[in-house]
Amino acid sequence: MMFVEINAGDQNILPYPIHQYKLANGLNVVTVPFDSPGLAAFYIVVSVGSRNEVEPGVTGFAHFFEHMMFRGTDKYPREKYTEVLKMTGAGANANTSLDRTIYHMTGNVDYLEKMFELESDRFMNLNYPEHDFKVEAGAVKGEYTKNFANPYQRLYESLVNTAFDVHTYKHTTMGFFEDIVDMPNQYEYSKIFFDRYYRPEYSTVVVVGDVIAEKVNALAEKYFNNWKPGDYTVQIPVEPEQNEKRAIHLPDGSIPPFMSLNYKGPSFSDSKIDMAALDVLSTILFSQNSELYKKLVVEEQKLRFLGGGAMNTRDPYLINIQASFISKDDFQYVRDEISNAINDIRTNGVSQKILEETKSNLKYSFAMSIDNPDVIANSLCQFIYLTGDPEALNRFYSLYDKVTEDDIKMVANKFFNDNRLTIATISEDEKGGVE
Amino acid sequence: MKAIIISLLLSGFIMAQQVVELKQPNASKMVVKFMFKNGSICDPQGKEGLTYTTSQVINNGGTAELTYSDIQSKIYPMASRYSVLVDKEAVTFTFQFHKDWIDEFYPIMMGLITNPSFSQADFERVKNNQQAYVDQVIRASSDEEYSKKAMEDFLFRGTNYQHMVEGNSASVSAITLEDVKAHYKDFFTRNNFMIGIAGNYPESFIEKLKTDLANLPDIRPAIPTAPAIQMPDGIDVEIISKDGAFGSAIFTGYPLNITRTDDEFAALMVANSYLGEHRKSYSKLYKVIREERSMNYGDYSYIEWYHNGGGNMLPPSGVPRQSNYFAVWIRPVQIAKQLKMQYEELKDVNVGHAHFAIRMALREMDKMIKNGLSQADFEATRAFLQSYIRLYIKNPDQQLGYLMDSRRYGRENYIEELGALLSTLTLEDVNNAINKYFQIDNMKITIVTDVSEAEPLAESLKNNLPSSMSYSDLVKAGLSEEILSEDAATENFKLNVKSVTIVDSKDTFK
Repeated sequence: MMFVEINAGDQNILPYPIHQYKLANGLNVVTVPFDSPGLAAFYIVVSVGSRNEVEPGVTGFAHFFEHMMFRGTDKYPREKYTEVLKMTGAGANANTSLDRTIYHMTGNVDYLEKMFELESDRFMNLNYPEHDFKVEAGAVKGEYTKNFANPYQRLYESLVNTAFDVHTYKHTTMGFFEDIVDMPNQYEYSKIFFDRYYRPEYSTVVVVGDVIAEKVNALAEKYFNNWKPGDYTVQIPVEPEQNEKRAIHLPDGSIPPFMSLNYKGPSFSDSKIDMAALDVLSTILFSQNSELYKKLVVEEQKLRFLGGGAMNTRDPYLINIQASFISKDDFQYVRDEISNAINDIRTNGVSQKILEETKSNLKYSFAMSIDNPDVIANSLCQFIYLTGDPEALNRFYSLYDKVTEDDIKMVANKFFNDNRLTIATISEDEKGGVE
Repeated sequence: MKAIIISLLLSGFIMAQQVVELKQPNASKMVVKFMFKNGSICDPQGKEGLTYTTSQVINNGGTAELTYSDIQSKIYPMASRYSVLVDKEAVTFTFQFHKDWIDEFYPIMMGLITNPSFSQADFERVKNNQQAYVDQVIRASSDEEYSKKAMEDFLFRGTNYQHMVEGNSASVSAITLEDVKAHYKDFFTRNNFMIGIAGNYPESFIEKLKTDLANLPDIRPAIPTAPAIQMPDGIDVEIISKDGAFGSAIFTGYPLNITRTDDEFAALMVANSYLGEHRKSYSKLYKVIREERSMNYGDYSYIEWYHNGGGNMLPPSGVPRQSNYFAVWIRPVQIAKQLKMQYEELKDVNVGHAHFAIRMALREMDKMIKNGLSQADFEATRAFLQSYIRLYIKNPDQQLGYLMDSRRYGRENYIEELGALLSTLTLEDVNNAINKYFQIDNMKITIVTDVSEAEPLAESLKNNLPSSMSYSDLVKAGLSEEILSEDAATENFKLNVKSVTIVDSKDTFK
């Protein structure tokens, strides 16, 4: 059962069965038994992230709300919650991104029922004092303060603000600083936010490790059965087509010069070939084995680093190519070399050999990564928030097998278009100056 | 079930090679580690960073047969990966590959360790990045990592633990390819390392490893001893003044004469977890500074080196150290300039939250020293650790790494032994350990902060001025009596500050 027979094309990339069980209220429960004696990973993925922050003045709220989920209920006020969680000895935390919020506890499987009890209580009955809400906003500001020390973070904030006009991907998950400072005033909105999204139809329970599905399902019935579904659907503004090249520059001489090229990409799909073909193409173009990397980083030593690829997102996001430089004088040269490499593939395609090797690389990378319950739970969560179905993981990896040379040419032509590009740079100069 | 075998195999030569085996019959992945028992303490004077350069050139270079790019081409379909971790007293290469590729990957792995090419081009590429790190990146990319490295520089000044493993500006620029080759020959030798293997491998694999590793130079390197440093007399503060810093990042440290080797370490671990477990909300420091007052993102304490605390939730293996210290990490807090901009009611504040945060952390520690843990706190913290330490080894890489580290501390299996020690521990053991090892009057403190904050903060610290906590009106209105009275006691809490120095960021790690 543990062997990864990776070359067999008809087999699932995840070599373990995915058990799914749906409660009457719509909550999906996913279990994957895995050989980790005494250990279980208990995850809840909620399909709410900074993408859902459609109202003005509340950017960063999904992330802030994640913090509030640790502020207690009537049954388990903050201190009691902390005390019980400590008793379980679990590694417990949460994180928020563009499309989702993930809450996780990994620990002693003997405490699985306690984890269910704690999580169901706060997901159904969260109730924090208004003062706690105001105080917690300071911790978010502290998080922003720590991140802001990094020039790459500052550039990223400006980049998405430039690349997007109306879609909520225009702001980062941290949110705009003025909204973070204003967070203590948003107590009433926080109740609306909880009421909208912390519902069974937005959430999925994922348990991986030394467990069996029947037991997990029974616990889910016991603890989540009374969770009431909601009826809110969010309208995300649709980003209009970008019709001209954009640029953003951060004048900062404190770190090595940096450039990123950001093309508008596709949304994730486990049936349409685009994202799978883009993964293959960007691995060919920008991995350490790529011709570009060997030329620009290894031989010519113009770059310290080169990498790139598309992120899996609900709505179209960015294909991001990053390069760290020895000298800013090479910005244009490297930009042109990258364009030339893309143009070459547009016209001439890629060899069958590199295509097959790349597919092998992507599959072995995944097979090598799944060596503990957390990695598997995180992977499943990703495909759940993207599609609602954990089996999308297996479907997506089987799509790689179907990618052809023509698909590679197709996505090279479709997405790497200068009218859909935003160039972001950091150097000591006042302007980036890249065409 | 995974069988753990630790064996000492005779290499057939004059010495014994330490081999740590972790048999995993069901695993599809293999992990091989080579831990050399030299680290940055072996760097020659004036060439600080040489061990790091040497390790990086091996990791990012070619072999006698293959260039770096050739290697990338060969391992691409396998998705094999390898990396190196350099610390004060260890260099660990970790190779991870799928068992399908064992025969194809083996010669590459062995070529890198026993026959690196050390080409001029690979050397220049690596050195250029290392130079950028010590000149720019450490100062500019994370103020909290900066404050941590600067605190080590301060605490270990004048010893072989002082410099960053990456070296400093002048020393890195002095390193030549000849230095690298000589350092490899002298220190990366067959008498100086431990092998670790995890996965589903045939016996012949180990035999072959042993035979091939005999090709390493047969030199017995003179490894310097780790420094025994004096307890500072009072609290010495170094403020690093940086243009455009957004907050104040704080790190403290004082020497600690105990390591994992000592059984008493388990007792100290309980005390430390109660005070400031890394990235956990259960602990005192986090509770008073972040949870109740939201001054920053988190506050933790340490009884041993924690590699890349900003990135890791669990402590990684591969950093065994003999010279230990106690540390408190206070993540960036607000500076006056920012508070003034954010809140009209705070327009007159002169100093941000750094002084108050340090007082709050040390006062909390002082309470623990004076009162000890209660029986309930002891039980809860011990129960937490008994489960939590299992997570340190949740994947084969860390499982193997922790076994190898165990050997460096004279133990067989640290996590197992720690579990046993925890189970026989008493409250008295913990409180005795607190009294023996914890104190708040002598330490080094490093603060990375904005130019505008440096002077007023230095004055405040130097003169033990009251440092009232400046809340926004919104938060202030809801504060409980208990919080306000704790604040009143904290703002005048006397710190044993002996010296405060302001250093320009440009003058660090020169």
